[in-house]
Amino acid sequence: MAAKSGNSKVGSVMVVGAGIAGIQASLDLAESGFYVHLVDASPSIGGLMPQLDKTFPTNDCSMCIVSPKLVDAGRHLNINIISNTEVDFVEGEVGNFTAHLVNHPRFIDPVKCTGCGVCKQHCPVTAVNEFNEGLDRRAATYIKYPQAVPLAYAIDRETCIGCGLCEKLCLAKAVVYAEEERRSTLEVGAIILAPGNEVFDPTAFDTYSYAHHPNVVTSLEFERILSASGPYQGHLMRPYDREEPKSVAWLQCVGSRDINHCDNGYCSAVCCMYAIKEAVIAKEHSHEPLDTAIFFMDMRTYGKDFEKYYERAREEHGVRFIRSRVHTVDPVEEGRLKIIYTDEEGKSLEEEFDMVVLSSGFQPSKRTVELAERLGIELNEHNFAETSSFEPVKTSREGIFVCGAFRDPKDIPISVMEASAAAAAAAAPLVESRFTLTKTKELPAERLVAGEEPRVGVFVCNCGINIGGYADVPAVRDYARNLPNVVHVEDNLFTCSQDTQEKIREVIKEKDINRVVVASCSPRTHEPMFQETIREAGLNKYLFEMANIRDQDTWVHQNDPQGATQKAKDLVRSAVAKAALLDPLEQTVLGLNKVALVVGGGVAGMVAALSLADQGFPVHLVEKTGELGGNALKLRKTWKGEDIGSYVKDLVARVQSHEHITLHTNTQVVANTGFVGNFDTILEKVDDPEQKTTVQHGVSIVATGGKESRPTEYLYGEDDRVLTALELDSRLKEDGNGFKNVNRAVFIQCVGSREPERPYCSKICCTHSIESALQLKELNPDMNVYILYRDIRTYGFREELYKKARAKGIIFIRYSLERKPQVSNGSGSLQVQVYDPILGRDLVIPADALVLASAVLPNEAKEVVRALKVNQNAEGFFLEAHMKLRPVDFGSDGLFLCGLAHYPKSIDEAIAQAQAAAARAATVLAKDVITLGAVKAVVEPDKCAVCLTCVRTCPFGVPYIGEDGYAVIDPAGCHGCGACVAECPGKAISLQHFTDKQLIAKTEALLLKEIGEAAAGK
Amino acid sequence: MVVAERKPIEEILDMIKEFDKVLLTGCKGCVTVCNAGGEKEVGILASALKIARKKEGREIEIDEITLERQCDPEYIDQLEDPISKNNYDAVLSMACSVGPQYIAKRFDTVLVYPMLNTSFIGGSLEHGVWAEFCQACGSCAIHNFGGLCPIARCAKSLMNGPCGGSSGGKCEISPETDCVWHLIYERMSRLGQLDKLGNVVMFKDWTTSRDGGPRKIVREDLKQ
Repeated sequence: MAAKSGNSKVGSVMVVGAGIAGIQASLDLAESGFYVHLVDASPSIGGLMPQLDKTFPTNDCSMCIVSPKLVDAGRHLNINIISNTEVDFVEGEVGNFTAHLVNHPRFIDPVKCTGCGVCKQHCPVTAVNEFNEGLDRRAATYIKYPQAVPLAYAIDRETCIGCGLCEKLCLAKAVVYAEEERRSTLEVGAIILAPGNEVFDPTAFDTYSYAHHPNVVTSLEFERILSASGPYQGHLMRPYDREEPKSVAWLQCVGSRDINHCDNGYCSAVCCMYAIKEAVIAKEHSHEPLDTAIFFMDMRTYGKDFEKYYERAREEHGVRFIRSRVHTVDPVEEGRLKIIYTDEEGKSLEEEFDMVVLSSGFQPSKRTVELAERLGIELNEHNFAETSSFEPVKTSREGIFVCGAFRDPKDIPISVMEASAAAAAAAAPLVESRFTLTKTKELPAERLVAGEEPRVGVFVCNCGINIGGYADVPAVRDYARNLPNVVHVEDNLFTCSQDTQEKIREVIKEKDINRVVVASCSPRTHEPMFQETIREAGLNKYLFEMANIRDQDTWVHQNDPQGATQKAKDLVRSAVAKAALLDPLEQTVLGLNKVALVVGGGVAGMVAALSLADQGFPVHLVEKTGELGGNALKLRKTWKGEDIGSYVKDLVARVQSHEHITLHTNTQVVANTGFVGNFDTILEKVDDPEQKTTVQHGVSIVATGGKESRPTEYLYGEDDRVLTALELDSRLKEDGNGFKNVNRAVFIQCVGSREPERPYCSKICCTHSIESALQLKELNPDMNVYILYRDIRTYGFREELYKKARAKGIIFIRYSLERKPQVSNGSGSLQVQVYDPILGRDLVIPADALVLASAVLPNEAKEVVRALKVNQNAEGFFLEAHMKLRPVDFGSDGLFLCGLAHYPKSIDEAIAQAQAAAARAATVLAKDVITLGAVKAVVEPDKCAVCLTCVRTCPFGVPYIGEDGYAVIDPAGCHGCGACVAECPGKAISLQHFTDKQLIAKTEALLLKEIGEAAAGK
Repeated sequence: MVVAERKPIEEILDMIKEFDKVLLTGCKGCVTVCNAGGEKEVGILASALKIARKKEGREIEIDEITLERQCDPEYIDQLEDPISKNNYDAVLSMACSVGPQYIAKRFDTVLVYPMLNTSFIGGSLEHGVWAEFCQACGSCAIHNFGGLCPIARCAKSLMNGPCGGSSGGKCEISPETDCVWHLIYERMSRLGQLDKLGNVVMFKDWTTSRDGGPRKIVREDLKQ
């Protein structure tokens, strides 16, 4: 279908780096009509995330949440994973790049390899296991971890001794020992760089004893120690003697905020949070009460729900936080370590611990820097990709975009947001080529099986020797032959292999099979594939059932072959019983309105609207006030010094003149009905409720913004010299000269933030105040400027600004919540009294100006909450579908969020998030139809008692009592979770594909012991 | 609605210990809505009883049926067929106590057992929580009390409350129980009706309530 004539742009994108950011960018692009080549130097995708144990602030298991993304990317028809490959150089320009790749050999053909692992079991070599950070060993034929995608082994030729055993043993004939390095090229329209960072190696720090003491580990090593799939199976042990430590210390800022040793002056942005998380999780893993202490300079818990996590760690879990910079870690007897540190008062103290974790920072790897140089991408002074705040995912080379940790150090959700943003940015210049290179599957018509007797085909997999090596597979196969309704049985070496798939399709036709059972590995990885196979043979995909006889049988009963065989028989009998009752289900296909509604005309709303409009989608932009621009109208400069005023002016002009944007100012949303793809929203003029318009659209983006709070302390509102940060900005904007005569200016941080009644950090105020303080210093270099703070949270490269401020003589004085500054104006001048913990005494600072860094609040947006039925957290910020991996999606399909309405954030993050929301929206709007899954809750009206149980229990708010007097569950909204089904007191609701009848038949068959009983068809 | 809850399983097992085959009947009315006796609860109770009896080594056969309502004779008639065709030792009703009485009246020779304790007339506060709001006194006067009923919701059914046991908005009988007189005071002050509370409410005529004996309503216009 590729029409590559003349100037046309190539409808594919190359994504370099397959960590979570690269995967997210690939999924968004592939879902919105572009073919994606996902290139990674590693044998499998996933990047750093699979190595993590839990993720903050939700304590979700990292592997559990990333694994479905790996599977999605691995299976996607329009994502071509190119593993073991590096990009050499790129020619051409946006729309028509030629990427030259170096494909390193993996020595095992990933197409043929079934992941059975026989090669690994017999490999005589032991090598260092990098995945477990060197804490244990692996073979030379290896897979990084069991959930790896592609699920194919590789041979590490650096350690391989060339014995050839794996080649002889591989039943799939996948070993290609003679494979050599190849070179290849790709034609792509745009490129996204998501190479991630490497963890800083503290070997060079003699003072931390890392290189020569096993009980000093990096944070990533500690993640592996905590992980259930790690070297110690999740038992908290110290490497020296495998004893459980009774005390563990974390040292922050190792390889960050330090220019004496490593020259990484920036803050790595995530270490405070991961250290707290590791301390909390370590306490959970420990059998005895575990003492945990975190040695830190500033506690930077600035993200959504981070501050509460910090508070809980301190108050509920008893994690100790010690404000200091540790200078020496000395080994003492019995593997213990002595920490010598200096406290805030300058006293030198000592404490001993069983184990020390170095909270290592992040930096771009040498390989990444070389790649950037080969691609001609400008880097900043720290070797990260240089970008502007207003185009956060755009590199210096047209058509090449960047996301994730290579832009600046950041956590998972912001990486995911940026990845989506990069997808939107990469899609924009290629819009004309959307769907030119993507593949679709041509499927035969479905055979009607209604009314036919069940004819079940059973395929039992040996999985190499994974199943066949423990259970008697032929016996299981023969047993299945005698089960009710079974017309065909066979066993396969690998039921998932290409040739077996072909065989299954043939036998379905040949024997008129109308229900298929596969007894093999796990539905998690393989069910969709087998469903696809039977669909290709003309069977409805829901006529498939799986028996998990590997993960849940032979893998756990390796020492009991007889028991494993019996269990396999039981599981197969159970699956066959359910299969006989399976119904073909119809997936509803709906048309959609390729129109977006964006609520909120601030920077986030405008960027989201423009991003979609530039992709050709009509957008309705609704703004409550008469003016576009929101908070940005009040801002002066970004922390990097870029002029916000002119940016916003341009943005407003582009929005106003864009052919695809319909602007609704002085307007609010009052009602919304429908579901993803087909919403109807009623808009109302704020000053004239009679004036209503209805817009029809397929998606909504909520960008209702936030505002600066009005302080209630420090004489605000009582004395003209007391200003908020934004008030200072607007005065500086009007005429900065007024401040030339100011001799002393004081800033107070955390005004209304990090207080019991508002327990979150407003994130942007530290940077904002420092930037403003520097501006004052510029106006009057002799001005004495003081910043009273609790923790300076200049995360990432903002740390540079903090450093600059100190160099310019701005004085930073820390205060605590228990001892807040006092402000008085008794004698005419403002007096700020504050306790200086270093001097150990109160200071009184006379001030000509006092600037309060007041909290950032979400706008109320009550009408939006009501109309769109979206949720807010306790602080009034909107609640995303998943904190980590779905940061711009709402729980309900087709609704997205961005900007301050989500959480306080800087303008570059708001822009990235807005582009991300647009990318997510485009995955819906790009398609012509919406195909709904058929596993949905269905109401039987006669049985409904309209008791409201379903309405109250649905986590997505889908059921409602319809006009006809019974509960209605819209299949478009239903997630198929089954909560209402289980709760309905009248048994009026059933879940398709998981009906009571099917599940009871499955369970009863499982519990039967004799074939006779089963055959009797009980 | 009528709010009920299932009797403890031990009590039910004791009731039916002599039986080998029973009919368990649910009701799609109030007790379905209050999650006590609908089709789901019937299924759960039947399974629980069968499991318990199997453990005892004396299996029991239980047929299940859920009627539209058990407080209308026409629906009770639907039991005729299963009861006449099966030799049940007893019929168990998961309706409010009206249900087992209707079944007993319709099937004179059949043993009928209640599976629920009928608790009160009330409403749901949230999924899984119900509270009493009415005592069926037969002469509603809640408009005099800010729309709240002191008969049902005051532990002492005081008409001129609160009593000395009201503290911090709670009743002395339990910190979980709101003092309805506190709520009455607050609502009436919001309504600007506090002056009405100055009037002494005379003692209540309880003849419309249970004190007048079992009650009956006859609508001559409807009755044929």
